[in-house]
Amino acid sequence: MFNIEREGGEHRVLSYKDQNCVGCGICSEVCPTDSLRLGPTVPIARGLIEMDLVSVNAKSCAFCGLCSSACPFNALDLTIDNVSIKELDIYPKWDVESTVNDDDCIYCGRCREVCPQDSIIFKRELPDRSALVRGEIDIDDEKCIYCSFCADLCPAEAITVKCIPTASNETVNNAIEVDLSKCVFCGVCKRVCPENAIREICSTCMYVDDIEVPEVTGETFIVENTCVACSWCSEICPKDAITITKPFEGTLELNEVEEDEKICKGESCHACQDVCPCNAVEIVDGKASTNLDFCNLCGACVPACPQHIRVVSRTDMKLGNVNSRSWSEILDSLMEGK
Amino acid sequence: MAVKIDSEACGHIENCPVQGLCVKICEQGALIEENGDVTIVPEKCDDCDLCIQNCPNQAISKA
Repeated sequence: MFNIEREGGEHRVLSYKDQNCVGCGICSEVCPTDSLRLGPTVPIARGLIEMDLVSVNAKSCAFCGLCSSACPFNALDLTIDNVSIKELDIYPKWDVESTVNDDDCIYCGRCREVCPQDSIIFKRELPDRSALVRGEIDIDDEKCIYCSFCADLCPAEAITVKCIPTASNETVNNAIEVDLSKCVFCGVCKRVCPENAIREICSTCMYVDDIEVPEVTGETFIVENTCVACSWCSEICPKDAITITKPFEGTLELNEVEEDEKICKGESCHACQDVCPCNAVEIVDGKASTNLDFCNLCGACVPACPQHIRVVSRTDMKLGNVNSRSWSEILDSLMEGK
Repeated sequence: MAVKIDSEACGHIENCPVQGLCVKICEQGALIEENGDVTIVPEKCDDCDLCIQNCPNQAISKA
């Protein structure tokens, strides 16, 4: 994390949040004064070195804001008189979104499980189990011998048996209880009871048409600041409730050259897999395989590869409102293969 | 083919900015710390070049 500033006619501050940075190096590629440096991404990703992924030379930085505009991941922000240039009309804007449609979401939570950045806030309220079943259960204290067969076998863990004899009274503290909020009247307890102490009747099937199933309610929310637009969530969502726009379109390929021994070393190296913010790389049959469905074409893996055989080719970039010709030329350079 | 270390450029762990990053990053055990210095075990090297790429002193190259 850094904050550098310049006082003048305007007060300009460039701030960097390492927690949002994926180490793609786009900022250092576009910096017109060569003031941003991408650090050793592989040792950082492996936890061998603790340092920020990007560092700045405050003396040479021109505070132009190109890095801030080009960063697809909200890691860099230039403010002019305390207003982010991302809010100013004349500066470029990313035309991307990472949103969940509340009307379609059923709150299954699969998106949260697959998000490689923990960028999904998810909570849900399931109905009470007791609202979905009907039945009766009763345990005869007189017959119960507190063997705990029922409690140990109860699949809903609804039965509690206490058996704590004292020296003077071996039954004083004995107790057996059924938690009716958990019991589903399956009858396992009744069948295993050696003393025939449990009376249980399940009437769920009989009343099935009358049982009104309460709605599952909840909230699923993507934190756009930390979302890297990998699309894992939208690909895995069974209800197509999530919209993710990736910052780039294009491809990423392995350009192996056998005669120069420029070949992927797979499990021996896995540098690309370690730095990928999208969890899009997997080593399959000894080679790095990138699933483009989940790749955001950030290019973090390109400089990480010691064989220099990863080539990202971007054909489109969702950054609009680029009004400066010089900025436009520099930004277009991101579209060439690297 | 393995790698070679330029002993003049190498920080010999003690003076390495990362105290032997090559040893830490090599998962093949081809670079090991021995008596406070880095030793190459050529038969274990898989030529992944991670050490070459990440040596802060640029002391490692192809043998």
